[in-house]
Amino acid sequence: MTNMEAEILLVEDSQNDIDLTLHSLRRENLANRVQVLRDGEEALDYIFCQGRFAQRNPDPVPRLILLDLKLPKIDGLEVLRQLKSDQRTKTIPVVIITSSREEQDILRGYDYGANSYIQKPVDFDQFRSTVKTMGLYWLVVNQSLASNGAQAAGKR
Amino acid sequence: MNLAREILLVDDNPADIDLTHDALSRSRFPTHIRAVQDGVEALALLQRSGKYSDASVPDLVILDLNLPRKDGRAVLREVKSNPSLRRMPVIIFSTSRAGRDIGHSYELGANSYISKPGNLQDYISVIMSIGDFWFGCAQLPPQEEP
Amino acid sequence: MTHAASHPRAESTRCPREQPAAVPAERVSLRVLLVEDNSADAELVLRELRRGGFEVSRSIVQTPEQFRNSLWRERPDVILADYNLGQWRGIEVLNILREEHLEIPLILVSGAVGDVTAVECIKQGATDYVLKDSLTRLPTSVRRALKEKELSHERREAQKELARKVEELAQSNRDLEQFAYVASHDLQEPLRMVAAYTQLLAERYGGKLDKQADKYIQYAVEGATRMQTLIQDLLAFSRAGREGVAAGPTNCNGVVESALKNLEAAIKDSGAVVNYGGLPTVAANPGQLQHVFQNLIANAIKFHGAEPPVIDISVDRDGEGWLFSVSDNGIGIAPEHAQDVFVVFQRLHTREEYPGNGIGLAICKRIIERHGGHIWVESQEGAGATFKFTIPAAAAEPAASAAALTLTAAAGAR
Repeated sequence: MTNMEAEILLVEDSQNDIDLTLHSLRRENLANRVQVLRDGEEALDYIFCQGRFAQRNPDPVPRLILLDLKLPKIDGLEVLRQLKSDQRTKTIPVVIITSSREEQDILRGYDYGANSYIQKPVDFDQFRSTVKTMGLYWLVVNQSLASNGAQAAGKR
Repeated sequence: MNLAREILLVDDNPADIDLTHDALSRSRFPTHIRAVQDGVEALALLQRSGKYSDASVPDLVILDLNLPRKDGRAVLREVKSNPSLRRMPVIIFSTSRAGRDIGHSYELGANSYISKPGNLQDYISVIMSIGDFWFGCAQLPPQEEP
Repeated sequence: MTHAASHPRAESTRCPREQPAAVPAERVSLRVLLVEDNSADAELVLRELRRGGFEVSRSIVQTPEQFRNSLWRERPDVILADYNLGQWRGIEVLNILREEHLEIPLILVSGAVGDVTAVECIKQGATDYVLKDSLTRLPTSVRRALKEKELSHERREAQKELARKVEELAQSNRDLEQFAYVASHDLQEPLRMVAAYTQLLAERYGGKLDKQADKYIQYAVEGATRMQTLIQDLLAFSRAGREGVAAGPTNCNGVVESALKNLEAAIKDSGAVVNYGGLPTVAANPGQLQHVFQNLIANAIKFHGAEPPVIDISVDRDGEGWLFSVSDNGIGIAPEHAQDVFVVFQRLHTREEYPGNGIGLAICKRIIERHGGHIWVESQEGAGATFKFTIPAAAAEPAASAAALTLTAAAGAR
């Protein structure tokens, strides 16, 4: 499912959570093009077209980044900090999706400029429902800069 | 603990304020709405100054862009550059679909940008989605104890 | 040599067959600038002109400087120059004229020279060349030169006028477009209020007031929602005209896919089947092209017959470009209306029969034509319709090789 133009970046190291998220997105027909990145370094390389992704074309930018906090190599908060301090990427909506229950993380997440923060439900059905609500809001209701302009086409 | 979520609605169009009220009343989440019609009032309330010194801090701000006295962009900028306010989720809710307005809003730190739909059904759906996501799904930043 | 009878103008000429030109009754005044270093020759020329019916006021110059000065002082109607002027040649007068940006007819007068030289002079810009032993030709030559100048002047003025009118018209069009756009844009906001609140009224008070009130509210709601669609369509129509085309390589498979996504609900409700695949990449504006496909497919679904709509999208080469076909099995269009459907606001059915403003196809036509293509429909009433449009070629990548995809609501895309 990884195409040239990823609409959604999923930065997550737990295979189980990756599968669950992709499954839930697909179920709601929201999972058009999802790029999975498994650690903070890979995520930054991808977004800034450097390192192993140096050949990648930065356009078009993703519509949404789903970011876990506990990541190997470079952690989620650092990724967030870099995203939100760079002119090229600060306008991309970043939603933190984490199993952390620490209030500190919520505070720091919003402080560093996360657009929103979600705690992963433990329950399978609730997880699915959360991804559905999240996807509906951030991919359908919310306007991102990368929103498809062609959808303005009227009918008849 | 007060279960009703506090929403600050900033819009200079009373008809839209009523509409948003109406739509939110259909949500399964109890909400209390405070509405102001210009940017100066909005900031005064958020900073709890003057007549707003006892006002409760909103959980969420729904902010129009084109406002008299101080427009939404200025409000957004001031909120997001104020260390004690910048965690507050601010949703821009505007008739403007201009890429320039969307981009600029995100640059200033808006959490979300929603275009006001042209028809009633969509307007209601969108407001309900705001409730469903921000109150039923997301974690709002914890309020600092006064 | 034969002497003509005692005609006052008859003179001994070397060419008895030459007839003097018919002389008009009135004398035409003529300002002549004569570039001649031989006074006898000069006299001959002037006398011939007078005989030819001209009231001559003249200036005689010999050098280029004298010529240049005289040009501005005398403002001659015509310049007569001797080809051979000792230090310089009469033909060089042309260069001076060009430098001064003056267009005055030049007639060269000279003793015998070859035809070749004469033709050369005319090629270089002299209006005519008259031999000194055929001076009787001179008045006719002058008249013709003056006439030509007048005509050429008139033509230039007419062209200027035309250009001016064209620009005025273009500006007027731009103003109208701008107005239509701004009006539509600004009308949306108050319209939104009316539409939303009439619907809220319907919701809140429907059934609680009397039947009349219900009816009034319903009419108001219908009117408002129709106005909203109309304004949106007008805006789209206007945008199709003012936006640049901004064409790039556009993969039509992706475009159709997006259009179908937007029409998901309609496809599901009608049980429509849309077949497409192997569509090429063309030079087009993706958003606008999507609008066209979406509109054609939506129409095909809307105007369906007794059976669920089946829509086939196919493509053929059209020279260097492409010919797309969108055909359906719906109610069709009578051939005599084939042109009308593309006219803005033109509808073939009542609003009760089929909703819509009648702008959709007009917008498609505008978009396709701005891309340099054509759009038309082939149809019979009751036998479905095939809408065809061309997109001319530009730099395009080879066609994607997707196998035919069938999108069926029944099969459950979800």
